Amino acid sequence: MSRTQIILTRLALLALVLGAWELLPRNGVINPLLLPPLGDVLTMLGELLGRPQVHDALATTAAEVLVAFLIAVPLGATIGVLIAENDYLGDIFKPILFYVFSVPKSIFLPMFILVFGIGFQQKVAYAAFTTTFVVLMSATAAVESVRADHVLVARSYGATRGQILWRVYVPSMMPILLETLRIAMIFNFTGVMIAEMYASRTGIGHLIASWGENFQMRQLFAGVILLATMAILFNEAVRFLEARCSTWRT
Amino acid sequence: MRRPAPATVRWGLLAAILLLWELVPATGIVPELFLPSLSKTLTVLVEDHQTYFAALLVTLYEVAFAMLIACGAGIVAGALVGGLTLLRNLLLPVFSSLYAVPIVILYPVFTAWFGVGSQSKIAFAGIYAFFPVMLSTAAGIRTIDPQFILAARSMGATLPQQITRVIIPASVPTVFTGLRLGGALTIIGVVVSEMLTSAAGIGYLVTLNRTILDSPRVFAAILMILVLAVAYYMLARAVERRMVVWQSAGRQQRAAARDSAAGVPAPAAA
Amino acid sequence: MQHVAHVTELHSRPGEAAIEVAHLSHAYASADGDVPALDDISMTVGVGRFVVIVGPSGCGKTSLLMMLAGLRAQREGTILCYGRPIRDPDPQRVGVIFQEASLFPWLTALDNIEFPLSLRGAPREDRRRRTAAMLTLVGLDGFGARYPHELSGGMKQRVSIARGLVQDPPVLLMDEPFAALDEQTRMTMGHELLRIWSATRKTVVFVTHSLTEAVYLADEVLVMSARPGRIIDRIEITLPRPRTYEMMATDVFGRLRDRIWQQIRKAS
Repeated sequence: MSRTQIILTRLALLALVLGAWELLPRNGVINPLLLPPLGDVLTMLGELLGRPQVHDALATTAAEVLVAFLIAVPLGATIGVLIAENDYLGDIFKPILFYVFSVPKSIFLPMFILVFGIGFQQKVAYAAFTTTFVVLMSATAAVESVRADHVLVARSYGATRGQILWRVYVPSMMPILLETLRIAMIFNFTGVMIAEMYASRTGIGHLIASWGENFQMRQLFAGVILLATMAILFNEAVRFLEARCSTWRT
Repeated sequence: MRRPAPATVRWGLLAAILLLWELVPATGIVPELFLPSLSKTLTVLVEDHQTYFAALLVTLYEVAFAMLIACGAGIVAGALVGGLTLLRNLLLPVFSSLYAVPIVILYPVFTAWFGVGSQSKIAFAGIYAFFPVMLSTAAGIRTIDPQFILAARSMGATLPQQITRVIIPASVPTVFTGLRLGGALTIIGVVVSEMLTSAAGIGYLVTLNRTILDSPRVFAAILMILVLAVAYYMLARAVERRMVVWQSAGRQQRAAARDSAAGVPAPAAA
Repeated sequence: MQHVAHVTELHSRPGEAAIEVAHLSHAYASADGDVPALDDISMTVGVGRFVVIVGPSGCGKTSLLMMLAGLRAQREGTILCYGRPIRDPDPQRVGVIFQEASLFPWLTALDNIEFPLSLRGAPREDRRRRTAAMLTLVGLDGFGARYPHELSGGMKQRVSIARGLVQDPPVLLMDEPFAALDEQTRMTMGHELLRIWSATRKTVVFVTHSLTEAVYLADEVLVMSARPGRIIDRIEITLPRPRTYEMMATDVFGRLRDRIWQQIRKAS
């Protein structure tokens, strides 16, 4: 199948899904109280985007996401590089990472609430906590992905540590770093959402949770569409960047 | 002085953490509210063991069914999407993009539809785990050496024989990875949803006791979940190792490639 | 349920060759149109002969072998094996050994050898007997229960050869089977292969890059040109059998090898 055929088929599938979402509830095939027709949801979305309450919530969430990201990435990267550079530390801590990833980190949310109370700090702290581990692991993988023979060649030509770092490590790691940022953001966003839905008075996650509790399905679905779209757009934007930067990677 | 073996250091760290957990609250540096001592936590767990055990059963029940959905559908979908070029080109990028959406925002939809009981948790955790399992299986299917099919064809194997005698046995490691991943993710999904809106289960106990500020009981529930998650991981790894004892060095490399190729560097964000 | 054919049943009629290729041509479709791969190849392989095909990289020798095996369809020309055309894989006429042993890692050596037989549903006892016999033939007695990851490269190729022989096809096609092995193992395996060949009297078509290997193993060497592949020379290897390592140091050996090399250089 050619590229255009693929894109057209996907669009057709999307149209099918959206069409079903509109028609089935409208004709009563699906209970419209449970799944409002797409048209109603989109109308509601337009309305929501005009409400100051929603603006505030989005701003709060955006702030939390940003701050948590800015904390987690340097922290995780530093620890990750340390673990990768030091074999002994690596041997000790790498198996632990696998256990860490099997554990639901949401269980620590109550601890954050106990310490920080309910508010901005608690959500940022929790999200940063969850994201750090992902960044850590990716950073470790990124450092280890640098081929030893490339480093050896550089050393044989007398490159200094700094030169090896900038001229071999950084270019080698660049594609992985971008991917790391993308995946870290996914985890970060998820963490903020969980925190907001669990115990919060502000933020779009809290709004979604309360819409759900009050059976305000149109608002709920509108919120879901909004967040999903934003998440996908951001993801694709970074993917695009990744592709541009890693043309040399097979 | 010779350095101790990494495993020893890990056990040492674990012991140190447990020790600190016991001693730090007693000294009053950290209020009991934030961190009840280990002994208090364990005492409470033993006292209320019936409550906790009942909650554990609910959680396990939900995990089991969610795993059925996630792994059943995920592995089959992953095999199809990964194996059939048409489907792969058409759908795989779509699924990878969808992975960027935090599925947790759908949970209120499930509670609105299915109520506060186990059904909503099973539905949510099932979908939560579905995508990563599907992506991982799709990537894993592609690591099967195409040379095997050529060899089988040269020996006169028919298409059904190629599938049953070559493709399926060669897929076993991928399937086990999918099961391990699926189980870990469904545990996470179930726990998150139980914490958010629920009437039963261990996650519910965490939330319930937090709101009444009963820290020892909160931590008892947290401890239980930790043990459950770690136990599952260890069990899954042990089974995986036994089952695929014929993994040669090349396969181990491919297994590592599989884990990272799925673009899923870790089970979950929760 | 088919029984395992034996070479005696595929008796060639007088004058009939094991393999006859007539005017074989092939091209690959690419974005820029057809790329010619093989150009009007005609060759005859007599029963029981050991024929080696050499040529520069990309000349199409592997493609040719794939077609002889029925794994790929040619654009033009015919391929006959014992008088009947080859269109699909026919393991009872033609056994194929690839460069990578491609042993199934989830089966033991013995089970790998038995695999082709198990596809046909032959009775268990017969299968076991044949498999054990093949294991002995390739010199791996006692290693049957090992898994591929427990075997060395040379041993894996021996299992692969046993697997190719287990249905007793009269013709054996081998595509650079020793290329992935180190030189010392290659020499041993070459020697082993000749031993197996003289014990079973198969017809062998062997593709290789190595000129030394070609002269050492072959009754006849076919030299192919660069793409599009053509047969540019047929060299009769007049060295006596059984071949020995010492022959590699003789003048005759050197001259034969040199001739092949000159032909390849001219054609590249």
